[in-house]
Amino acid sequence: MNEFAQWLHATAFSQWIQVTTWVIPLLQSIHIVMIGVVFISSLMITLRVLGHMRADEPFAAVWHRFAPWMWGGLVVMAVTGALLIVGEPPREFGALSFWIKMALVLVAVLLTTFLGSLLKHAPHDAASPLRGPARPAAYVLVVLWIAIIFLGRAIAYDIEVWGGLSLHA
Amino acid sequence: MDIPAIVQTLQASGPAEWMRTSVKAMPIVEAAHVLAAATVFGTIFIVDLRLLGVRDRSRAFTRVSLEMLRYTWAAFALAVITGGLMFVANASTYWVNTAFQFKMLGLLLAGLNMMVFQHITARDVRSWDTAHRAPTAARVAGALSILLWLAVIFLARWIGFTKGYNFDVPDDPGINFEF
Repeated sequence: MNEFAQWLHATAFSQWIQVTTWVIPLLQSIHIVMIGVVFISSLMITLRVLGHMRADEPFAAVWHRFAPWMWGGLVVMAVTGALLIVGEPPREFGALSFWIKMALVLVAVLLTTFLGSLLKHAPHDAASPLRGPARPAAYVLVVLWIAIIFLGRAIAYDIEVWGGLSLHA
Repeated sequence: MDIPAIVQTLQASGPAEWMRTSVKAMPIVEAAHVLAAATVFGTIFIVDLRLLGVRDRSRAFTRVSLEMLRYTWAAFALAVITGGLMFVANASTYWVNTAFQFKMLGLLLAGLNMMVFQHITARDVRSWDTAHRAPTAARVAGALSILLWLAVIFLARWIGFTKGYNFDVPDDPGINFEF
């Protein structure tokens, strides 16, 4: 992985990102704006599952309102995130926070897909809170996104946050 | 009002010193600031999209707005507290930073836009609350809101790349920065 990071770091594209001063702040800004879109879209869906938001609307309506923004935002985050990795490979690959964040993103995507799969069973009338495993899944999803946001910022402070566990150490 | 003295006093305060000396304070406070900013933008964006008639056309505007605003204000309070802590840690550096100054201007304009909307544009909200298409002034307020908050986020991120972290002991011998 270290060799891959070094190779990526030396590519012309990575060099361009590194020396063009506005690229990284711009990518990070877009990434942060998309956190707003993805986190809040997901929060609206999970709050609906729990019956705390738009409980007068069917779950399917709330899902169709917010899921496209959430998935679209995730795609933009994946692209800007990938470009940030190309720009600073050792910073990302050497951070324990980065790897935990990626694992949690995977779990969050799987849990969201699970909530989406409930549409087949959700009643089509204006319904109250959902029952069954959707509820714990909703709570876990909110905690996961908050943890992902914290870990994202922690990439810049890996040694301060993880001490000897940091891969930079 | 002696602003440089106030800035220096803030920078010499207990919370400022805690921010500078605690190893984990900066990452945790910064992450909470990102979470707060994302929540402010994400919730306001939903209201703005309703104003623009892009989404939630069949839901009353005031309903969408009321549902979102408690989250917006809670997150804004968190953003002010965490932002305040980040500011005092290096107050003298922030104070003269152009990106920071423009960010504050952006926040002020976003607030003004909200006040004008609340007290002038939305006075007759009952007549268009459930309409699919809001009046032009309301749609302009929605578009302005999106643009201003985007600008605030971009400028905020720009601060981190233009100010650097100033851990130097300032020349002013009146302040004790030994930690």
